[in-house]
Amino acid sequence: MREQTSVHPLPEHLIEAVLLVSTGPISPPDLSSATGLSKRETETALANLMERYVPEGSGIVLRNVAGGYLLSTNPSCSVAVERFRKEARPAPLSGAAHEVLACALYLGPLTRGGVSRVRGVNSDAVVRSLIDRNLLVEVGTDQDAPGSPALLSVTDEFLVATGASSPDDFPPVSSLVTQEELSRVRERLASHPVPPDAGSSEPS
Amino acid sequence: MTFESQGRSLSDFTVELDVYSGPYEWLLALILKDELEIFEVPLRELVESYFGSRDPGAEGGLERDTDFAGSAAALILLKSRTLTPELDPEAEVDDGEMLSPEELAERLVEYLKIQRAAERLREIFASNAGHYPSAHSVPPRPGRLRIKPDRVSLAARQAFSRLIEPPVGHLGPITITLQELAGVIRAALANGPISYERLTDGMDRLNRAVAFAAALSLAQEGNLTLEQTEPLGPLTLKPSA
Repeated sequence: MREQTSVHPLPEHLIEAVLLVSTGPISPPDLSSATGLSKRETETALANLMERYVPEGSGIVLRNVAGGYLLSTNPSCSVAVERFRKEARPAPLSGAAHEVLACALYLGPLTRGGVSRVRGVNSDAVVRSLIDRNLLVEVGTDQDAPGSPALLSVTDEFLVATGASSPDDFPPVSSLVTQEELSRVRERLASHPVPPDAGSSEPS
Repeated sequence: MTFESQGRSLSDFTVELDVYSGPYEWLLALILKDELEIFEVPLRELVESYFGSRDPGAEGGLERDTDFAGSAAALILLKSRTLTPELDPEAEVDDGEMLSPEELAERLVEYLKIQRAAERLREIFASNAGHYPSAHSVPPRPGRLRIKPDRVSLAARQAFSRLIEPPVGHLGPITITLQELAGVIRAALANGPISYERLTDGMDRLNRAVAFAAALSLAQEGNLTLEQTEPLGPLTLKPSA
């Protein structure tokens, strides 16, 4: 048996080791704290590791998500990973779920009533499902509203699932719709006034 | 979505959706047991696929169509109830909810933006799928693994002391079942509303509790309504309209 030699590890090795044992993203300050490296050493080491763990060069990738760094498997290897773990990829979210998440992301924190008001349909069941999947979380209460309903926001798991470092990474909502489209909606409504008793519905 | 063999009703009807793949009857069971959210099930796709797969000339086709129509109608009703805010007949009409065309236009514009954002999110989720983080979990800190002998002794004493069952001699036997009490309640309601006090007159404490459970059960099934005008006030059982 070879005797273990006391070799001083490189900064990259220290950070790599800490990232390996983490199931969630670790922020640079936490990495510095855990490894004893300075801020500059940590940043340099992370930059080197990002180059090493590019999707083209490894079955493991280093992601900058949810305000931290996370080692994950390369998506190109996902079939083998899923086969080994004997588990299927989670079912994709429904259109309703994406709309609720978009509400929380762009308009949040907001209440369940706020989500339902934007969508025009009761969204409580969708919200419950998203909380169960750790994509939505209650972050406080609306003290100005009757009953102080809970305020909803997206979670770090949501940022990890979308590959975003923070909510600011998403394009502004105004950029997703053109002015022509908005004008068309207004014109159409002006030319076809809606009867007062018309209800809202969601496609089945 | 296929019919795999000629059989009884919908038992051989299987479905393949994004959220579920398997026998249609199991899909219904999962929805009824709240293990699958009804809003996740695309009903239009379900109906279209059924019509695309049915064989009009098959034996028992009419029975199968009827069963499917019945179950699909129930699903539509269930989904609409899930999506529609609960109606409160006593709630006052909020005149503020009557929107002007301009306000309605603004709401539609806002919804259009959210809809676009949702479509974008769908693409982002799809492009980021397949990342699996390290499966390692950090073990407990060594300090938490230390075992103090006196804590073990205390835990053992607490665990062994639980072997003595609490005395239940003061509780009388339950002499009537929930089903029997439900029958008694139904019979009493045949003559109109009845107070809980009058219904349970002469019963001991335990049987009164069972009667309350039976009344709750019947109320949950919609067979009666419970009225209590103030907290801890008199409770009245009324036949459902």
